Amino acid sequence: MLEYVVSKFNFWTYVILVGIGLYAMIGKKNLVKKLIGMNIMQSAVILFYVSIGAKKGGATVPIFMGDAHAAHGHGIHEIIDVASYVNPLPHVLMLTAIVVSIATTGVALAALILIFRRYKTLNEDEILKIRREAGV
Amino acid sequence: MKAIALIAVLMTGGLLIYSIEGLPDWGDPDSPASTHVSPEYIQDALEKTATPNIVTAVLADYRGYDTMGETAVIFTAGIGCVLILRKKRKGKGD
Repeated sequence: MLEYVVSKFNFWTYVILVGIGLYAMIGKKNLVKKLIGMNIMQSAVILFYVSIGAKKGGATVPIFMGDAHAAHGHGIHEIIDVASYVNPLPHVLMLTAIVVSIATTGVALAALILIFRRYKTLNEDEILKIRREAGV
Repeated sequence: MKAIALIAVLMTGGLLIYSIEGLPDWGDPDSPASTHVSPEYIQDALEKTATPNIVTAVLADYRGYDTMGETAVIFTAGIGCVLILRKKRKGKGD
C-alpha cells in the first residue's frame, strides 16, 4: 500500500492542492481568498501536467547542449537518445496555460478593485446584503 | 456553506483518488505521454527548426499560430483591465 502511494506520490500531492483550492473557492467569504483558491487549483493542474513529462534514469531538460548546432543537418537523427530528455510537450502546453491564468487573474483583480470601490467591502455576504437593501 | 464546501471537496477528492489508479508511475519513461508523439518531437526538432531548445521550437515553430492567439488573449486581458479601471468622466454613470 505504501509502495503504491510512494510510486504515484505526485498525484496525491495534486489531489491535496485541488482540495485546498476548491475549498477556498466554495467555503471562503472573502472574494480575494476565492481568487487565491482558484490560483492554487490552477497551480495543481500545471504541476500535474509537468510531472506527466518527467522521466527517471538521467533524463535532463530538453535543450541540446554543446555542438548541437554543428551537428545540425548531419544525420543528428541517430545521435539523439529520446530517453535522455524529458518530455517537452507538457512544458509547452503549461506555458500557454500559465499565460491564460495570468490573464484571468489580472482581469479578476481589476474587477475586485471595481467591486471594492463600489461597495467598500470584499465580503460576499455584505455585498449581497447591500444589493438586497438597494432592491436590485 | 462550510459543510457544503467540505462535502464537495471530499467528493471531488474521492473521484480524483479513484482516478490515480489508472495513471502511470512517477518518472516512468514508458508512460503513454512519453511514447506517443513526444519522441518524434525530440528527434526532429533540431533538424527541422534549428533550435536547440525543444520547448522553444514547439512553442514558436510548431505551434506558432497558437502563440499568436495567446498574444491576443494577453491583449484582450490588458484592454479589459484598462476599461474596468479607467476613471469615468464626471457627470456620466455613478
